[in-house]
Amino acid sequence: MKILLLTIIFCSTQVFSHSKENTSHTPHAHSADAKLVDGKLENLDSDRFDSFVSDLKGHKVAVVSVKGMVCDFCARGIQKTFNKRDEIRKVDVDLDKGKVLLAFTSSATIDFEEIKKTIQSNGQTAVDMEIINI
Amino acid sequence: MGINKILFVIFIVIIVNVDARPVSWTQGSTLMAYSNNLKNSIYYHFSPTYKFSLGLEMVEDKIFDNSYAYFRFTRLLNRKNMQNSQRNLYFRSGVSSKQWASYFFGLQGDWETRRLFAGFNVNLIESGNRDYFNQSYQVGIAPYLGEFGDLHTWIMVKTKRNSVADEWSTFPVIRLFKGDVMLELGYNGETSWDTHLMYRF
Repeated sequence: MKILLLTIIFCSTQVFSHSKENTSHTPHAHSADAKLVDGKLENLDSDRFDSFVSDLKGHKVAVVSVKGMVCDFCARGIQKTFNKRDEIRKVDVDLDKGKVLLAFTSSATIDFEEIKKTIQSNGQTAVDMEIINI
Repeated sequence: MGINKILFVIFIVIIVNVDARPVSWTQGSTLMAYSNNLKNSIYYHFSPTYKFSLGLEMVEDKIFDNSYAYFRFTRLLNRKNMQNSQRNLYFRSGVSSKQWASYFFGLQGDWETRRLFAGFNVNLIESGNRDYFNQSYQVGIAPYLGEFGDLHTWIMVKTKRNSVADEWSTFPVIRLFKGDVMLELGYNGETSWDTHLMYRF
């Protein structure tokens, strides 16, 4: 039984080391008047978004599509990590739509690769991003 | 079942219980308290990266009336993030402070959506000259889908078996979590309550 278990563990490591998570999408930048006018954002909860940006005039909001974010308890790290950054004013997680909303100061540079790494360090996969100027 | 066999069954049940989240986010810490009719334990683990955790579990053994520690290592072997689901496979291991020849290792896996959960845990436990095999399976459903920050509830059924007792034990479990805190309660008619409290920070 011990040998069998070790074999399974070894094979799992080998097989899964070749599997890659889907991360290779390109972010897009958009402008909007705090409304969802872009077709690509149709999967966003508009009420939630409007509530999120209600006090963010002059800010930029990154709407990040995330895979694997199925559980509140698991997404906590995303919120905690982004909240530590000075250039980020607010963070929201929409579990239902699989979106993370990040409100940046207007002067901030939004780097999708950096965001992707941060989300990866929490164990989820960021696949796309839209930037909306409020 | 002889007295030695009973003691061995107790021993392996004390050692191994399923952790809901055995690895945290990068630089994340988790503190767990576990209590049932056999033991009380406190388990702290730290995750240098989201791929593995190192931890120490302090165990108060109610049956043998003594205490010891477990040095634990857990590795995320694979995670598959999908749009509406996540699947995980972990390698778990631990070495006892009391007796270096006592250790366990095994696999834990889970798959979950916002509505459904299925998980398993198989372990091989070495204690002195004897090997034991312990396995458990758990399925659950969320009766409602909460938003981020809400109280989340899972209703689950867990079944487990070890190679010494050679008996299956099946019982209901309720899992509640809100924010950084999770509480899991299981009730088994034979062994009464299992309580598992977790805090992540």
